[in-house]
Amino acid sequence: MQGSIVNQGVELMLFGMGTVLVFLTVLVLAITLMSWVLKRYFPVLETAPEANHSKGAAAAPATTFAAGDATLVAVISAALHQHRSKHSDR
Amino acid sequence: MDNLLSLWNDSGLAQMDVGQGIMICIGLLLLFLAIRKGFEPLLLVPIGFGGILANIPGAGLAYSAVENAIHGGDPALLLELGKVLGVAVGEQSKALLSAYGLGGAEAKMLATQLANDAGFSNGMLYSFYSVSIASGVAPLVIFMGVGAMTDFGPLLANPKTLFLGAAAQFGIFATVLGAVYLTSIGVMDFSIADAAAIGIIGGADGPTAIYVSSILAPDLLGAIAVAAYSYMALVPMIQPPIMRLLTTEAERKIEMVQLRPVGTREKIIFPLVLLLLVAFLLPSAAPLLGMFCFGNLLKECGVVDRLSDAAQGSLINIVTIFLGLSVGSKLVAAKFLDINTLGILGLGIIAFAIGTASGILIAKLMNKLGTTPVNPLIGSAGVSAVPMAARVSNKVGLEANPHNFLLMHAMGPNVAGVIGSAVAAGVMISLVGG
Repeated sequence: MQGSIVNQGVELMLFGMGTVLVFLTVLVLAITLMSWVLKRYFPVLETAPEANHSKGAAAAPATTFAAGDATLVAVISAALHQHRSKHSDR
Repeated sequence: MDNLLSLWNDSGLAQMDVGQGIMICIGLLLLFLAIRKGFEPLLLVPIGFGGILANIPGAGLAYSAVENAIHGGDPALLLELGKVLGVAVGEQSKALLSAYGLGGAEAKMLATQLANDAGFSNGMLYSFYSVSIASGVAPLVIFMGVGAMTDFGPLLANPKTLFLGAAAQFGIFATVLGAVYLTSIGVMDFSIADAAAIGIIGGADGPTAIYVSSILAPDLLGAIAVAAYSYMALVPMIQPPIMRLLTTEAERKIEMVQLRPVGTREKIIFPLVLLLLVAFLLPSAAPLLGMFCFGNLLKECGVVDRLSDAAQGSLINIVTIFLGLSVGSKLVAAKFLDINTLGILGLGIIAFAIGTASGILIAKLMNKLGTTPVNPLIGSAGVSAVPMAARVSNKVGLEANPHNFLLMHAMGPNVAGVIGSAVAAGVMISLVGG
């Protein structure tokens, strides 16, 4: 009787830990499969724009913004210059 | 003069016994820890207060109608109760109580009827307990709220961290072994179901612990819930020494690769995948993980924000109040002041320590075998206790390397730990509870 409760405990540990391991391993496989399927077969909705955002878009807008900034500054300063010169004319 | 005497006999002072006094002090201690020291105040305030209420002498808030009748009934009623329960002399209240505890369904129904007829009713806390915990509802509703607050992004970005969540569950089963060992050498007296319920403290997950012990060991629920929540509050003190002991300075400095972004669709599909797996492989974990997945789907699907807000806000708060008071009702002196409670407290902390250690060791192994670097510190987050354990990993990591932010990496094993302990709970219930 006293040995049997220890046996029950050992049994519970083996089965329990085994089940947890197997279940989570299957879950890892399922997650990996799900991510792969989504990436492979349904890339249009999400992965494509995301890829654009992270690679192309993230890099490209940065440069265009920099270039845009330069032209914007040029335009504004030109306008300011004109405005001031008009003012001084009057 | 007679009136004065009966008033005195009705007062708490006259009816107080030593056990109740001690339990009220324990309730006050829990309140002190919660309010002054900030130990899981959301739960320990209701639990501590419920514990005080349950031990008010003469009020019988935590007792059923029959128990109240036995404590407060007149001799005629006790005689009748004794007849129903098959006890010869109706005067001995202890014999009556144990007969009521052991009695069959019919005797219990008759006794309840008698008590109700005599004007006794269930105590308030007893009613709270039967509605929220005995039915299993409150822990499950809280689990839904936890699901609605959980972000599976870090886990989906690095699914391998699930293994860390699995490893940390070793603490649960090691503690089961410890409990049955203590029983076999005659120090404590636990059944295998009790041992399983005690082990689940190592899952560091309050609702899971309460759910499992309400099924497997309702008598120990008070001690198990108090141990689970106090140790969750103590995570920042229990874990760091173990983490430092088992890792080298160089390992603590390891920086991990930036996690990939996870799309909305992956997050929506994940709870459904998990639910299907549970349905196929382990239906006994379905109540816990089903509600968890439901809450998470509410959050991620993005079209039912009102339901998601309710689940993670007002609803979880309301249920927490009743859950806490109901757990408090189990802190009745007769059931709590016991050598077994000390055993539960001791075994609980061992469960935590072993879970932490095995998580770290498996993380070290993953670091050695895998191609991508894994900081072993995130392994300790495998013992759920969301998000405290992940914060501890982050903090210890920052101590070794001020530029190393492990928080997001530790959230993966952290939520994996929640899934892992729910799975372990399901296994226990199906193996032991049947």
